[in-house]
Amino acid sequence: MFRSVLCVAVVALSTTAGAQQAGSAPRSKADSVAKATADSLAFVREFAKTVSAPAAPARAVGGPQGATNPRMLPDFSAVGDLVGDLSPKGSTQGDGSRLGVREVELAIQSVVDPYFRGDMFLAINDQEKIAIEQAFLTTTSMPWGLQARIGRYLMPVGKQNVTHRHDLHTVEYPYVIQKFMSEDGLKGTGVSVSQVLAPFGFYQELVVSVIDRFGDAVDSLQAPDAVNKNLGGLGYSARLRNYWDLSQASNLELSLSGITGNRQTALGFTTTDGTNAVNARQTLVGADLTYRWKPLQQGLYQSFILQAEWMRQINDQGWLANPDAAGAPLIRNYDGAYVFARWQLAQRVYAGARWDTVQDPTFRGARLTAGSGVLEWFPSEFSKLVASYERRSWVGGIAEDRILLQATFAVGPHKAHPF
Amino acid sequence: MMVRTIMTVLVAAALGAAPAQAQLKVVTSTTDLYDIAKAVGGTRITATHIGEGYQDPHFIEAKPSFVLQLRNADVWAFVGLDLEIGWMSLLLDGARNPRLNPGGSGYLDVSRAIAVIDVPTGNLDRSQGDVHPLGNPHYWLDPENGRRMAKLFLAKFSELDPKGTAVYDANEKAFEDKLGATEKGWAADLASIRGKPVVAWHTSWHYFGQYTGMKIVAYMEPKPGVPPSPSHLLSVVAAIKASGAKVIIMEPFYDKKMSDLVARQTGATVLVLPPSVGGVPGTPDYFMLLQKDVSMLAAALR
Repeated sequence: MFRSVLCVAVVALSTTAGAQQAGSAPRSKADSVAKATADSLAFVREFAKTVSAPAAPARAVGGPQGATNPRMLPDFSAVGDLVGDLSPKGSTQGDGSRLGVREVELAIQSVVDPYFRGDMFLAINDQEKIAIEQAFLTTTSMPWGLQARIGRYLMPVGKQNVTHRHDLHTVEYPYVIQKFMSEDGLKGTGVSVSQVLAPFGFYQELVVSVIDRFGDAVDSLQAPDAVNKNLGGLGYSARLRNYWDLSQASNLELSLSGITGNRQTALGFTTTDGTNAVNARQTLVGADLTYRWKPLQQGLYQSFILQAEWMRQINDQGWLANPDAAGAPLIRNYDGAYVFARWQLAQRVYAGARWDTVQDPTFRGARLTAGSGVLEWFPSEFSKLVASYERRSWVGGIAEDRILLQATFAVGPHKAHPF
Repeated sequence: MMVRTIMTVLVAAALGAAPAQAQLKVVTSTTDLYDIAKAVGGTRITATHIGEGYQDPHFIEAKPSFVLQLRNADVWAFVGLDLEIGWMSLLLDGARNPRLNPGGSGYLDVSRAIAVIDVPTGNLDRSQGDVHPLGNPHYWLDPENGRRMAKLFLAKFSELDPKGTAVYDANEKAFEDKLGATEKGWAADLASIRGKPVVAWHTSWHYFGQYTGMKIVAYMEPKPGVPPSPSHLLSVVAAIKASGAKVIIMEPFYDKKMSDLVARQTGATVLVLPPSVGGVPGTPDYFMLLQKDVSMLAAALR
């Protein structure tokens, strides 16, 4: 009751004021008060009617009613990645297994609030047990077309590194990624900001990133300080993507990437205080080119991808007093590249081939070359069976054949197809 | 002074010659939505579409060039019911356009206007193929749903561009009138179709079947999205022989060899029908699309 009286008074005052400003015909003060009171009562009645009435349905016509996820549960999904190694001279897997579960990846993904989306990927395998593969927030409403990512993520360096290993068209990453980054790609924990540009009329995306450190810590190496003791030792990366539609069916992507930061570098000996490494700057630069062809009408059955990537690892020698001294560690710059092609043979069958070359930093830069062929069969969008043959050799004559089999499967919600 | 006068005249002429600025930038996922949006929006909107009518809308590639279309769009209209689930999120994520995020002013799930059919019940899992948990998304092949889509565009465009409401309203009425007139033109064809058994490749013809009265007695796909297996094709052959179906209808983006194989075994005719505007030559708009589908099917069934 008190609220109604108050409401009447407030509305009467405001209506009177409004009438004084906007009224055009002269009228008496008594008329104005009576009119205002009547209007106010009408307003209060309307107000009461509004608050007591049930909410009107938002839609007039009969589509699906209500939210499709009323409890706002995140998407839960899992991917199993099984690898068999039938290589004639024994297993070439790190754990020596012939048949193994390389990894199980659990994903929890959802919109967090009006400002962020959250993605968490946990990797489970027999060596690391459980590890945070990725965990990041992505902004959804930044101005000027900016998008920021905060957390741990696959580093936007090179083309294939941003693809989950189980989503690759081959069983393993190209050797240049394995040798210059890691067997399961390069991740970083930090902040990245990206912007889509089109100043020249075609798609460009610039991604810059600052991460806690470039690469994983190596347990066996002990440097006098943490690699990230100074801000200059953090990892800094940039990637510029350029994309062109050549026709409705074909397109081309050319990108440039780079990352720099301190990494632990072995001294080759151990000092009295247990130090056996220094923090030295390492820079990785690269370029990648991808050509895709997929006719729109027959795209279910035909497609082709040609991809090439080149990287150069630049290692700082400045910390070496005399690089030529006997016993001094060998510090060099290394190159690596691969070319990959993939043909679609039928709706769910693909054949691919890859040629790799890389100066292997773990073998003092000895060149590793490999040629491989792969056959992929997708029983559905949620499972994949792969057979691969590879012959790899190092300069000096050591060569080996590898036969790898892979089965991956995904359970959970349908996700977007990677492009 | 002379120079200033000439400049003023030139600027005024340039402004006068410039076309009226479009009010709304609309991007649609399919050509059908594009065509209806254009019919309602007229010259007050600019519209583009992501997919083509002869392309499987489930498997459109999320090309970065589409991101450029979306990043400045006012409206993103899509079929919904998970039809675009394989690519839409990548494009919207890349576009960084808050208007197009779920809940944003330009996020237009057109299925919200539709009385959806084939909504699965009971336990769902992927052993049932590429089922759409929210129902069948191929609703635009029923003209009644075309009207609902047009009304939804009218409401959305009027909400975002109130000054254009009268134009949108008039355009929508013109669309309905033309659709009504076109429908009258194929009444005889519908009579030839009603009750006739047909085989379809995919579940995409349910709404069309509901409208035309054709009876789908078998599918070339054993389960939605699953390619035909030899054993399943035998069951399709048996179904055709048992029902007397004369026609196998399929979209232009599926492999016709399998349908031809069944046709050879049964004497049925393989009919490649356009599922969307621009799906085959001669279907430049929504009216011509429906007319083509109805007339081709009727001719094959007579």
